[in-house]
Amino acid sequence: MSTPVIFDPMTLPSDDNVNAFTFCVELTGSQWFLQKGKMIAYYGRIDFNGIGHGRLERLVRTSFHSPLHASDWVVAEGTGKMLLADRAFDVNSYDLEDGNLTIRSGNLLAFQPSLSLKQSIVPGFLTLIGTGKFVAVSSGPVVFMEPPIRVDPQALVGWADCPSPCHHYDHQYMSGVIGGLRALTGIGGTSGEEHQFEFVGAGTVLLQSSESLMAETATGALPQQDGVPGARGGEGGQGSQGSSGHRGQPGQRGQQTQGPRLPGQLGDLQRRFGL
Amino acid sequence: MLAVDMTGDAVKAKNGSMVAYDGTMIFKKLTGGGEGIRGMVTRRLTNERMTVMEVKGHGTCWFADYATEISLVHLQGEKLYVESSNLLCTDAGLRTGTTFTGLRGATQGNGIFTTTVEGTGQAALISDGPAVILRVTKQNPLTVDPGAYVAHQGKLKQSFQSGVTFRTLMGEGGGEAFQIRFEGEGLVYVQPSERNTIAGDV
Repeated sequence: MSTPVIFDPMTLPSDDNVNAFTFCVELTGSQWFLQKGKMIAYYGRIDFNGIGHGRLERLVRTSFHSPLHASDWVVAEGTGKMLLADRAFDVNSYDLEDGNLTIRSGNLLAFQPSLSLKQSIVPGFLTLIGTGKFVAVSSGPVVFMEPPIRVDPQALVGWADCPSPCHHYDHQYMSGVIGGLRALTGIGGTSGEEHQFEFVGAGTVLLQSSESLMAETATGALPQQDGVPGARGGEGGQGSQGSSGHRGQPGQRGQQTQGPRLPGQLGDLQRRFGL
Repeated sequence: MLAVDMTGDAVKAKNGSMVAYDGTMIFKKLTGGGEGIRGMVTRRLTNERMTVMEVKGHGTCWFADYATEISLVHLQGEKLYVESSNLLCTDAGLRTGTTFTGLRGATQGNGIFTTTVEGTGQAALISDGPAVILRVTKQNPLTVDPGAYVAHQGKLKQSFQSGVTFRTLMGEGGGEAFQIRFEGEGLVYVQPSERNTIAGDV
């Protein structure tokens, strides 16, 4: 076995990966936003303050526009080098130049305050706008794809510079009486790939090479307001569950709380077949 | 996965961590961490439990545990402090023992005692993700999240740092309320993942 590498503050990289799972941020009196509890070690003097701290109000006002996530994020400031990691998942940093990128909220680990964070209108996703560096985690290395592409909801990490995705259902497979039965009962075998996210336009789509999702951090509730997708009070729904909930069915809100979805059921697809 | 070549000598390894071997091997459970009656009682009392087996024989033996990463540590008379759950395997010549760590352990949820490995030889540590080894010098003290701490060696003084303030109680804490600060000369091993600790959510 090779001799282990020993790091000290001089040899640690600055704003780069230490290994595939650990990222090092250098702070020189500057500030970084990071998700709570993802710091594993640091050299120097660094303070961690929750968002909502009075002194940070100005910073938060300019670069943090997601009250739902405020309790999951902290601001690190000071001088030194700080190591970030998350549950031994792959960590990568990306540079945005006057761009925008939307990412699953659980996958975003840290970002520079020169970027501004906003909530995407797709529930469970966050959008970063501006110029700067951010760090994201993924289960397995990230793959970059170009639209037009349809992706599996569980493999989607985020997308940059392209319009928000729409849901795509494989109707050919699911149409007719047999298809409806299949969708409802799972008998005859569902491939589990009938539902995809579809991307069109120009941009980049980020995929992770595994279909295991990051444990979702609590995202709070979306405001109960007309026109807000996924606003179902309490759950802050995400992905397929959240937005397939009430497509074109106003007035059905009261019936949404049905208990857990059975394995054979695909979203609320069976409604389409009148079942 | 760790491969150990043996020619009649022995290693101490975590119970049940053998995945394969060739040659002839004898596996013997060592009650109470193989530290004799005194060690056994200490471990019981301190709840720093460790089920260890002794492997002896000729050939190669492979050890692994939950697909976690392994780092090898060479010891030349120094003392290595490691959480018993992070210790996979040691040369039989190394002495293991239990020591009091103070408040640091309490925040880790691993109890306030830790395991020490002393002597000359090699020890294998396991960590969730490859461990990063950080050097601590007099000029560069290091602060570590208790959940990511794996082991340390050298002349290090550890102190417990708490950032619990009024804000933490209000639920507006910085997320890093408990930290361990290492000062002196030595090495600290951290893993890119955090154990569940009572301090994890504060």
